[in-house]
Amino acid sequence: MNEKILYGYTGLFDTPDEIIEAAEKVSAEGFEKYDVHTPYPVHGMDSAMKLKPSKLPYIALVIGLSAMVTMFIFMYWMTSIDYPVIVGGKPFFSFPAWVPVLFEITVLSASIGTVVAMIAVFFKFPNLSHPLHDTDFMKSVSSDKYGISIEAVDSRFNEDYVRSFLSSIGAKEISPVYWDDEEVTFKNTVLKPKFLTFLIVVGLAVSGTTYFTLNKLMFMVPFNWMREQEKYIPQEISTFFEDGFSMRTPVKGSVALGNIPYRFSGDPEGAGEALVNPLAVTKENLELGKEKFDIYCSPCHGYFGEGDSRLKGQFPNPPSFHSEKVRNWSDGRIYAVLMDGQNVMPSYSSQLDRAERWAVILYMRALQRSLNAKESDLK
Amino acid sequence: MSSSEKVIEYSKKELPPVFGKLGIVLLVIGIVLSVLAYLSDPVRSAFNNVILLEFLTSIGLGALFLVALEHLAGAVWSTPFRRVFELISSVLLILPIVALPVYFHAHDIFHWTHADVVATDEILSHKAPYLNMTFFTIRIVAYFLLWNIFYWLLTGKSRKQDSTKDQKTTKTNAKIAAIFMPVFAITITFSSIDWMMSLEPHWFSTIFGVYYFAGTVIASLAVGTFVVIWLNEKGLLVNGIGKDHYYSLGALLFAFINFWAYIAFSQFLLIWYANLPEETYWFLQRWEGPWMIVSILFIVVHFAVPYFALLSQPSKMDPKRLKIMSVWIVLAHIFDLFWIVMPTHSPDGVLFGWIEIGFIILAIGIIITVFNLKSKDSNLVAIGDPKLQRGIDFRL
Amino acid sequence: MSSGVIDYTKEFSVIEGKPSLRSIDDLISKPLDTKPDKKYYIALSITLTMLMIGAVGLLASFYYGTGLWGNNNPVGWGLPIVNFVFWVGIGHAGTLISAILFLLRQKWRNGIARFAEGMTIFAVMTAGIFPAIHTGRPWLDGYLFPYPNQHALWVNFNSPLLWDVFAVSTYFTVSFIFWYVGLIPDFAILRDRTKNKLKKIIYSVTSLGWRGSNRHWQHYEMVYLVLAGFATPLVLSVHTIVSFDFAVAVLPGWHTTIFPPYFVAGAVFSGFAMVQNVLIFIRRIFNYEHIITLDTLEKMNKIILLTGMIVGYAYAMEFFMAWYSGVQAETFAFINRAFGPYAWAYWIMFSCNVLFPQFFWIKKLRRSIPFMFIIAVLVNVGMWFERFVITVTSLSRDYLPSSWAYFTPTITDFSLLIGSFGFFFTFLLLFTKTLPVVSIAEVKAVVDGAQPTHKDH
Repeated sequence: MNEKILYGYTGLFDTPDEIIEAAEKVSAEGFEKYDVHTPYPVHGMDSAMKLKPSKLPYIALVIGLSAMVTMFIFMYWMTSIDYPVIVGGKPFFSFPAWVPVLFEITVLSASIGTVVAMIAVFFKFPNLSHPLHDTDFMKSVSSDKYGISIEAVDSRFNEDYVRSFLSSIGAKEISPVYWDDEEVTFKNTVLKPKFLTFLIVVGLAVSGTTYFTLNKLMFMVPFNWMREQEKYIPQEISTFFEDGFSMRTPVKGSVALGNIPYRFSGDPEGAGEALVNPLAVTKENLELGKEKFDIYCSPCHGYFGEGDSRLKGQFPNPPSFHSEKVRNWSDGRIYAVLMDGQNVMPSYSSQLDRAERWAVILYMRALQRSLNAKESDLK
Repeated sequence: MSSSEKVIEYSKKELPPVFGKLGIVLLVIGIVLSVLAYLSDPVRSAFNNVILLEFLTSIGLGALFLVALEHLAGAVWSTPFRRVFELISSVLLILPIVALPVYFHAHDIFHWTHADVVATDEILSHKAPYLNMTFFTIRIVAYFLLWNIFYWLLTGKSRKQDSTKDQKTTKTNAKIAAIFMPVFAITITFSSIDWMMSLEPHWFSTIFGVYYFAGTVIASLAVGTFVVIWLNEKGLLVNGIGKDHYYSLGALLFAFINFWAYIAFSQFLLIWYANLPEETYWFLQRWEGPWMIVSILFIVVHFAVPYFALLSQPSKMDPKRLKIMSVWIVLAHIFDLFWIVMPTHSPDGVLFGWIEIGFIILAIGIIITVFNLKSKDSNLVAIGDPKLQRGIDFRL
Repeated sequence: MSSGVIDYTKEFSVIEGKPSLRSIDDLISKPLDTKPDKKYYIALSITLTMLMIGAVGLLASFYYGTGLWGNNNPVGWGLPIVNFVFWVGIGHAGTLISAILFLLRQKWRNGIARFAEGMTIFAVMTAGIFPAIHTGRPWLDGYLFPYPNQHALWVNFNSPLLWDVFAVSTYFTVSFIFWYVGLIPDFAILRDRTKNKLKKIIYSVTSLGWRGSNRHWQHYEMVYLVLAGFATPLVLSVHTIVSFDFAVAVLPGWHTTIFPPYFVAGAVFSGFAMVQNVLIFIRRIFNYEHIITLDTLEKMNKIILLTGMIVGYAYAMEFFMAWYSGVQAETFAFINRAFGPYAWAYWIMFSCNVLFPQFFWIKKLRRSIPFMFIIAVLVNVGMWFERFVITVTSLSRDYLPSSWAYFTPTITDFSLLIGSFGFFFTFLLLFTKTLPVVSIAEVKAVVDGAQPTHKDH
């Protein structure tokens, strides 16, 4: 082991009053490269050491303001130039609504910036290889003592002089501090291939992760069985059928489940002869018929089938159900009107299903009977 | 800690006679101008009188609030000049006189006093149980009574302590202050609703009381800061008040400027964003025609200038800058009240002439004269307060 | 100082009994140096069980979708938003203690600041879960940040929900930085006293090489001041923006201008109650009674009383203005709150937040630990219900009477609520064993005799 290089001299004090006094004396003596070490900030130490006020608030101000201006320009560009969208009837440039975000960004950048500036620029941290670390001096001042260190690089430094000076101002446990070998021989290893490789790996990993996150991960849907089911969606290409269509035309003559084909389209008289109302005259059927009649038929035909439309002349009034002609129609003939429509009346085959159609006809019959009752009905 | 053997050196000194004379001169000019104003344009004068009344309420009540706050928080740094704030709060005593002209012109400025309008207006007749002359009178009398009671309680005890030096008084004061706080919150809210919000009887905003409170604290703090620094430079307070105390005052001023801006912005943003016609018209009135420039100027005067002037740490300690900013902020508060009150009177144009200036002169004259008269028979420092030495020793 | 006549000429001790600086080191780092005991494991297993209940609820919500929650038309914001606002509110006390009370130079804060800041961070983390899962498809939350995405679309800067994203993430980041900056000197102290090699390495790295140098302290204190200066408006802005979520809407009961300060006061109110609750245990278990003194707890109770009254003021103003405004829907919303189907929730809220804290006017009750504990628990119950009342009553009775409905939370909702408590307290328990829960350096600075006497003045 070679001759150790001296870092400086340290001395300890017991009370905050002593350390303030000592600091005043050290700075009055003309030392510049000295420092005071305390377990907590001692009030009045800055003026005792004649330190200039910290410049950090200005850094905070500059970073905060520039972040705010940048964000403002950014927001203006996004909302007013790049992709203007009207939101809530507000103008593109709706400054009051931006204030919260501007404020947050200002605070965020200024806080991070100030702390990073303090740690990296003002403290030159992280610095784990300072000679004072791991000394008894350090252990004392981080717990309950107050210490002064005078560095060897100070222009007024002289071992004997400093030692006697420290004892003259009342310091205890005055001791020299030496640089460790590793700390002295430490070389900057940034350009070593190992470190460069490491940097490249980190760079690749970061950019890869970013790429993966933004281009792949964002498109991965974790629970997708609702969206992607095992069925063909319209227009999808089929790999099963030779023609490549997933949509098939039905085989000729095929009938949908439950569907009873209507054979009398365009032939109302035929329907009138062939079809018979399958429903029995029950209360339920009549009530169903009334419900459907009131919904679908009554707007034009009126609640009682008298053709008194509620549409106030917007549509020609239909004839009454109570005419001789309609009363003498068979149920099947009326059924044909419901299926095909008549004159301006459109088909109601899609609004009413088969049972409902017949139920409506039952109800119509009841209406007709109400105005032209037979004698037998009175009994 | 505090060295009890140290004796606080304080002997009562008179304020410089120039001060009193200045007050009298301003008061006389103010009274003459305002009387002339009432003769030439009573309605406009009544509106200005509302500004005057609310401004003096701000100063007096705000100072009393700050006194109570010190008692409640057990603060020591402000003890050396608490008496100054107590003296400023004596403005509360003459508030009823200032309110009288407005009260007699209520029919000219308060829309809701017109029975025929109220009868045909559904919303106003809905509000009639609150907005009617009888209840209004009861309320304002109650405010003045409560404020005066607490003024006497808080300042009287403190003044007695000068001779008794009784430690118990400090504790009693803290208790009174605690009771004062809710009373203060309710009275300041409803008085601001009565005097200012009801000028536009259709308009409403739940934060209005808080908004006025924020302005109140800034204004009274600014007056206090100015007086404290001025008295201290003249050597009329105790020795030892210095940069650390100034910094505290400046920081508080800065904090409340931000608080005011926060409240003002919250009120504006919510109304602007929701865009409900029954609320927005109040801001539209202040954002259309000539009032728009006034509103922009208002933001600059009331927020931007004081904010940047007091932002840095050294500037909060600089007595010269603090004095300038105090005056600025006091004027800004008058501006604030002007901005609230006057658009109701003249929505189509900004009226600012000799009448307005006359009332501002009157306001300043009243404050100076009342302070001068009140300080004649009282110490300028609460020398009996046990916290005084600690307050003088206060360091950041 | 506990009784009798107070001597106002002397500065009050913040730390009782003038302990030596070294004993403070020993006491505060003791939980880090000793192995956890049985009670700790019992507590941890309870919180972990709660966390697991929440995890089950969360997984079920992911698997089956958010239809498991009570949210439905018209109450689209159910318990998740209630929980979010509640937890963000809990976080506010920490920043108030560490930043605002620091700016006001309240020395008693030094003993509780670290812990409260920790609670802030954990509470904000807990709160952050809820809006994230409330989006329904949390894996797409990345779109909340304005980055040039494949849709070529930008986020909507006019939306208060986006302001929330910025506010809460900024709040978390700044709180975390503030916390870490405060921890640096403490890490250095731990580094210098530990004998364990691994701990030494960890503490060396985390303390960054701190040497207690006054040339550093000078900047450090300045940065602490600057950060406090930033954190103070930040903490106001966060709950203000949360209140904007409601108040910018035109829904009756939501749109009222007092919401920003009212929400902030409410947040501080509930946060202080939570901090006080937990501190009562901490000071007892770790023997910190002389550092976190009864006086400190009493001061916290005073702040609870004060903020409780601000909240009460806001309730009153809302009610008065609802009537004064003459707007029918607004008046109805408030009558409905107090006397409608959710009257039970309203009166729980009102009594817990406004009535019960009034007991703190009495000094004896303010200084009684069991009593203050109960009141603070009630305050937190009340504040949870406040958010429930605001969110649910207004939504369940909107402008369209045909869509009115009664909101009933489901078992999944409750499991998430329980889980959030488990999440929060698990972190808190881990924190007590891994980091110094009281700031060593800050406490040393306020021990009697720790500061020079300034004889020359």
